[in-house]
Amino acid sequence: MNEYDEKWEEQINALLDGELSAADADLLKAEATDDRDLARAIIEAYKLQKAMDEIRVERAPDSLRKRLRAIPRQQRPAPMFRILQPRWVMALAAIPLVLVSVSLMQPATPSAQEIAKARQDLAIAFAYLDKAGQITGREIESTVGNTMSDAIAGSVIRNIKSQNETSKEKEA
Amino acid sequence: MKLAIFKTLLTGALCALVAMPVMAQEDELKGLAGYIDFGDLSATYGDPKISINIGGTLLQFVGAMAEESDSEASQIMSQLKGVRVFGYPITNDPTVAKEKFGEVKSTLRTKGWEPVVQVNEDDEQVLIYMKMDGQSMEGMTVMTVDEEEVMFINIIGKLDPKELGRIMDNFDIDIDDAIEVD
Repeated sequence: MNEYDEKWEEQINALLDGELSAADADLLKAEATDDRDLARAIIEAYKLQKAMDEIRVERAPDSLRKRLRAIPRQQRPAPMFRILQPRWVMALAAIPLVLVSVSLMQPATPSAQEIAKARQDLAIAFAYLDKAGQITGREIESTVGNTMSDAIAGSVIRNIKSQNETSKEKEA
Repeated sequence: MKLAIFKTLLTGALCALVAMPVMAQEDELKGLAGYIDFGDLSATYGDPKISINIGGTLLQFVGAMAEESDSEASQIMSQLKGVRVFGYPITNDPTVAKEKFGEVKSTLRTKGWEPVVQVNEDDEQVLIYMKMDGQSMEGMTVMTVDEEEVMFINIIGKLDPKELGRIMDNFDIDIDDAIEVD
């Protein structure tokens, strides 16, 4: 495109945009009367503009719109207090949670109340154990007699008996 | 995008941190040879009548408290690593409790526990199993079931049954209200 063409192109665009002064518009029209190529160029440009105006404008995808909206934000100068950015606010808010969690992981010293409760629970647990012992003791007593009435200690008695027998064998 | 990843990582890390102590405590007991899993009967019988779970730390403190008044009892308690009791009232069909009884019994045998005492009456069953490592006791499991309740007791650590009374004397707690001893 030479300088001549560029000049007329600017004039044609200005004419179609309504930005050309009346004097320049008259001059362009007069020129087009004598210049068939210029006249054709004006007509084609007019047709093109009309065709463009008739095209239905489609909505851009959301992802593209978000990116386009983000452009001015990216070009914005960095804020002075970067610490107030959401991610840092979240991180600061998370610190107490992390501290609590870490403290929970430590072997905590139980309170006096917890120890008292554990003591009571332990007493109840052993009472149940004792109860089971009484039941088994009664049962064995009624079956084989008093000698093995201590039912819970059955295995201990077996061990003692076994050790005694071993000792006797050694002595013999 | 980066913020979303950050949020996800932070949430995951916090969840893990909160869950870890609970998991660690449970895993600590589960890892012991004397531990036995009794399962859960609450779906059939509702909330347990009694649920006791005392870990090693608390037992050490209870033992330390007893040291001044009864050093022998304190010594006995220091050998315990955990005490667990779960009891459910049998509000309806006792079949489920008896099935669980059999299930736990089978698990005990599979895991090398030795039966010590077994009472099989029509209306009452009592099982006492011990887990031994050579001459050393690693755990004791006592299970009782009758028409009214099913009870699972798991002692983790060393406890000579003959010393039970010795420890009981140490507790000046009126336990008659807590349980009904026949």
